[in-house]
Amino acid sequence: MSVLMADDLQFRHESRLILDGVCCRCRVGELVGLIGPNGAGKSSLLRVLAGLRRPDRGRVSLAGADLATMPAAQRGRLVGYLPQHFEPAWDYTVRDMLALGASRASASTPRLGTMARDFDLEPLLERPWSRLSGGERARALTAAVLVADPQLLLADEPGASLDVQYRSALLERLSLEAQRRIVIVVLHDIELAVRCCARLIVMNAGRIALDADAAVAARDPRLDAAFNIRFQRVPIDPSLGPLLPMASPGPATAARKRARQSDA
Amino acid sequence: MTRHLALSCGLLAAGLFGLVAGHDWLSPASLWAALSGDPSLQGGLILHWRLPRVLAAGLVGALLGTGGAIFQGVFRNPLAEPYLLGTAGGGAVGATIALLLPLGMPPVLALAGLSFVGAWGATWAVLLVARLAGGLDTGALLLAGVSVAAILQAIRSGLMLALSDESVSLQVVLSWTLGGIQTPAWDGLALLAALTTLCLLLAQRLHRGLDLLGLGDEQASAFGLDTARFTRLAVLTGALVVAIAVAWGGLVAFVGLVAPHLARWTVGVRHGALLPVSAGYGAMLTMLCDGVARAALPPAEIPLGLVTALVGGPFFLFVLARRVRR
Repeated sequence: MSVLMADDLQFRHESRLILDGVCCRCRVGELVGLIGPNGAGKSSLLRVLAGLRRPDRGRVSLAGADLATMPAAQRGRLVGYLPQHFEPAWDYTVRDMLALGASRASASTPRLGTMARDFDLEPLLERPWSRLSGGERARALTAAVLVADPQLLLADEPGASLDVQYRSALLERLSLEAQRRIVIVVLHDIELAVRCCARLIVMNAGRIALDADAAVAARDPRLDAAFNIRFQRVPIDPSLGPLLPMASPGPATAARKRARQSDA
Repeated sequence: MTRHLALSCGLLAAGLFGLVAGHDWLSPASLWAALSGDPSLQGGLILHWRLPRVLAAGLVGALLGTGGAIFQGVFRNPLAEPYLLGTAGGGAVGATIALLLPLGMPPVLALAGLSFVGAWGATWAVLLVARLAGGLDTGALLLAGVSVAAILQAIRSGLMLALSDESVSLQVVLSWTLGGIQTPAWDGLALLAALTTLCLLLAQRLHRGLDLLGLGDEQASAFGLDTARFTRLAVLTGALVVAIAVAWGGLVAFVGLVAPHLARWTVGVRHGALLPVSAGYGAMLTMLCDGVARAALPPAEIPLGLVTALVGGPFFLFVLARRVRR
């Protein structure tokens, strides 16, 4: 089983210290949420973990291999990165995006058709990017990143601009993916992070302030300290059900059903 | 399939137009007679004078279309063009030196070699200036390109005044820099054809990287592209393509801008199809414009670069206006 190891990462940008002594270890089976105030270094950490930036000190390894010195093509196969903002220069169709995502895979049989079905993209395959809605774009990009079946998925505030039902469907999809690969997701919405993630890493000023199971981290006073605010914890009556439509009958639910069937 | 057929028909039609056009227009019958080996003077002229010129125009146009598609892909900007970016201007400085200075090399080699060095250097200069000015967006790129092109033009003019003497006519260099296909001998044409084929094949190898670059630097890198290395390779290839076009055709403006746009409208944005189709449109446009250049004001011949600028300039403004409005 592959493990992502970050060891004593230091990262500077224009002589400013962005990451300072970050260590963490992530494995398959838990959705890891990365939270923290603005400028804490979340996005930078994600880029360093993705091998897109080289740390000034320390080392990131995936299943024992150093990501910084790995050839780009191999890194592209192993790592999937979902950016915060994405605007292609040319008006690619959904099919083009999936094909470009698949072109980095080593296998000669990319799972284009399966991905299009799983992400409910079949009717949109020939549609250009400029004519997709925000939710459709998020699905298309996620599918293009996942089509090569990477061992590691890093998502930087996926769906930050999306409506709440799309965002929670996307997160549900990510927690499903976390059963098959290492998944780390940067989130702004702390409540969503507590609900959806199995584990939370709280960053502050370039360091990890707290790293614990989501339920434990949610009660930890270091969470308040990192955000420099006192959160009010409100117990939720379980009979009310989730406040967020976690079980929305979206594409992710359909995919989970399929996954269950194939497990059986 | 129908697209390929349509493109081939278009190429053929443009070629025929190029053969028929001139300061005396040919009838289809006399064209047919000339091509089927008419021993008359007119037949000989067509076969050994006009045909190689039309073919050379097509090849230069194919190179310009390919170069435009490469540069638009590398810069991720539909307004990037070898002429505006200073690539062609750099090539022209190299070529001017080759034309005016006795270098002790075969002239074709000196012309192509120095054009390549100039084109390559100028493209990097624009790239670096644009990066310093804050990125590769349309504004920075165009300003950097315009300023580098202006400097290069000044250098070229200075060189022309300083280096020309009785032995080298200024007229020759000037008419060449205004863009004009020289009528090549058959062996020169064969060399151009071989180089063009090589360039098109080299360009085609860039298609996946250009597609990925279109996703943006970060996502291209996340999808496994070594973006810095690929950009160097693509600029080198683009400079080679443009340098050969400049060495044979002088400064021909805007074909490299228009051809990739026409190609994108017909086959979409993926470079696998875009590169060859853009080459086809470039060939078509240049053969048409070269025909017009020969036929418009008989008995004089308008420089080809002026014709393409008159056609391509408004097109550029149209694309620019659409982009600014967005």
